[in-house]
Amino acid sequence: MQCLSATRTSTFPTFLIPGLCPPKSSKVPSLPFSTTAQRLKRDKSRNRGVSAIHATGLRRRQTLHVKKEDLPTPVLDRTKHSKIQIDPDHGLWQFFNDKRSALTSPDEDHAHGRAWTVEELRHKSWEDLHRLWWVCVKERNRLATEAYERRRLNAGYGDYESQERERTIKFTQRAIKHTLTERWYAWDAARQVAVEEGLDLSGNGPVWTPQNFEEDDAESEEIIEEPEERQTDAVGEETLKEVPPEADSTQHRPQPAATG
Amino acid sequence: MSRLAPFRIGRKQVYLPNFTLTLLRTPHLPPTFASFITPLNTNKLDIRDYLFHVYGVTCVRVRSYIQQQRVRGGKRRKWYRPRATKRMTVQMDKPFVWPEEPTDFEPWSKETFDAAHEEQRKAREQSRPMADLKDSTDRKTLAEQAEQLLSGKEKWRPQWQADGRVSRSAGLFRNPESRPHVRM
Repeated sequence: MQCLSATRTSTFPTFLIPGLCPPKSSKVPSLPFSTTAQRLKRDKSRNRGVSAIHATGLRRRQTLHVKKEDLPTPVLDRTKHSKIQIDPDHGLWQFFNDKRSALTSPDEDHAHGRAWTVEELRHKSWEDLHRLWWVCVKERNRLATEAYERRRLNAGYGDYESQERERTIKFTQRAIKHTLTERWYAWDAARQVAVEEGLDLSGNGPVWTPQNFEEDDAESEEIIEEPEERQTDAVGEETLKEVPPEADSTQHRPQPAATG
Repeated sequence: MSRLAPFRIGRKQVYLPNFTLTLLRTPHLPPTFASFITPLNTNKLDIRDYLFHVYGVTCVRVRSYIQQQRVRGGKRRKWYRPRATKRMTVQMDKPFVWPEEPTDFEPWSKETFDAAHEEQRKAREQSRPMADLKDSTDRKTLAEQAEQLLSGKEKWRPQWQADGRVSRSAGLFRNPESRPHVRM
């Protein structure tokens, strides 16, 4: 109040009055210049500095709800592991022999017959040949698996017998391809004859329209009749699946058998 | 295979494949894993479809890697690198464990096999150059004998005397009829 009266007397500018009166308390309510939040001295995380990756271990006086002594110990010995239930029809059993043992003895590997001959396979249908091929493939896979395991175990002899068996299988496979190649050439020859005879192989409309009936054509008709059925559905890759008419008529359809 | 595959099947039809797949024993892997040696040109989708259609094994995941082989040869031979091998590990829907290893290797004649290999190894070492100069048991005994002779502990005698024969050629041929005819 005193100040106010003084200013009035000495024409002191009124806006400077607060500066003349010092504040009673020295603490000025103010904000820090930085706008970031102040750091706490200690954060609330109880697991600060505990890392499983760096294997730091626990902090001092850190307690867990599990004691270290109660933790289960891993069983590293494989013989003590619990037995795993394997499906008896698991597909990978086909990589093993009939006894389902890891290795076949040389005597058992050696007990096999000869390969299929081309003459025998000429009487088989494509389905039979295809099945026989896959039997061969699986047998070769088994032999490869056992040869690798035999070498790994350093088991002893048996390479020769295994190789001989595989050689026999390869001869069978070669005979299959030979038979199929023969069939393809037979089919191709029939196709050429059909083209020469002027048959319509485009697939649109009838393949053959009879025009003149003469007794002389009776022989040629029989030859041409068969390929025309084949022509309608044989395309590209499917050619191998086709069976020439000669083989079709004489086939017996027996079950395919392994080379052994 | 008539059952439905839980994945999309490839459309490439292979009728007569001509490669082999080798199943490996992998005790370090979980039982749902199986490892194979495959040809280099097969890919993961191929192996998944192959196992499904041929063996009826459903794969969940496939991993693959190519193992480069070490360089071999050298020392008067040409350097060469064997072809790399491709290995694929598949994760199956059903577990599978290999049958146990055989303990008795009698059917494979392991004893004969090992003995033959040992003999071959010895013969190979003997055929190497300077093989006779290398340390052997003969050298040791020869050195002992020479030392005894030089020190005078033993006196040298020809072998026929050491054997206790009357003359040099006596008793060499037990059967006198088998003696070679010598022209006088």
